[in-house]
Amino acid sequence: MNELQIGSYTFSSRLILGTGKFGSVQAMLDAIRASGTELVTVALRRFNPEEAGRDLFAALSTIEGLTLMPNTSGASNAREAVKAAHISRELSGSPFIKVEIHPNPQHLMPDPIETYEASRTLASEGFLVMPYISADPVLAKRLEDAGCASVMPLGSAIGSGQGLATAEMTRIIIRESSIPVIVDAGLRSPSEACAAMEMGCEAVLVNSAIAVAENPAEMAAAFADAVKAGYKARAAGIMPKSGSAVATSPLTSFLGKTS
Amino acid sequence: MITITLNGEQRDIHDGSTVDDILGIIGAEKQRVAVVVNENIVYPEKRSSMKLRDNDQVEVLSFAEGG
Repeated sequence: MNELQIGSYTFSSRLILGTGKFGSVQAMLDAIRASGTELVTVALRRFNPEEAGRDLFAALSTIEGLTLMPNTSGASNAREAVKAAHISRELSGSPFIKVEIHPNPQHLMPDPIETYEASRTLASEGFLVMPYISADPVLAKRLEDAGCASVMPLGSAIGSGQGLATAEMTRIIIRESSIPVIVDAGLRSPSEACAAMEMGCEAVLVNSAIAVAENPAEMAAAFADAVKAGYKARAAGIMPKSGSAVATSPLTSFLGKTS
Repeated sequence: MITITLNGEQRDIHDGSTVDDILGIIGAEKQRVAVVVNENIVYPEKRSSMKLRDNDQVEVLSFAEGG
């Protein structure tokens, strides 16, 4: 199946985009279009009268077929995250919620206990819960059992560009999960997104690597190609590793022989 | 006049002001915003009739860029 399935939703793109850090709204829209993504994250903030003309919802509505996945960034515990999710659903009209609870701005690592509590509550209320978590296979399984639509382990710290530092743990999560595993955070280059897909991720979520690129739209297109290549390679069956050389040409000696 | 807290700041408004009146004052009437009064979401269909009271805690929220 080529489509990404999350709950009852299907997406033809397996690249999810974050909308933060772009130099302008136009650069963000260009990148979204170039990526072909159908699912983007947004954040909830207090309305700022000084930016009354900057209407992100209206801007994103110009792209057909785009589904919003609000995050709960800014919440420092489960209660705040649940509140943010309720407000976000009223705004977005979408059942998707990225549960993101990171109480320490120094490292932005997700709080597993509060994330679990918020995710369990929201899943029971019918949200399609996409929790941002450390690459912890036990937590991932607990979240699946709690009714989450997906789990999103971090590749490395948010915005760090350190790539798939959690590859071994992520492999275990993928092996054990029956819901989509989506690497979120830390990816720096398309090759890392490709590697995540080859490992068996169902999708990747990328923000900084695209938003801060010199040419965000081109980088978005590059990530889209890489995600497709990785998914296709995985589906095609990647050859096993061998501990020794295995010849690809006949080794029968004949050039030195005389008749 | 009554005093409300709007997005964390105290503000004096006319007695009888509705939620819609407040959205107009801050320039949010044409945008998609969520309104929360005293922890309760106020849905769009209620905003023209719901009058604010002294000491109400009002939050007006919208989507912003984020990952």
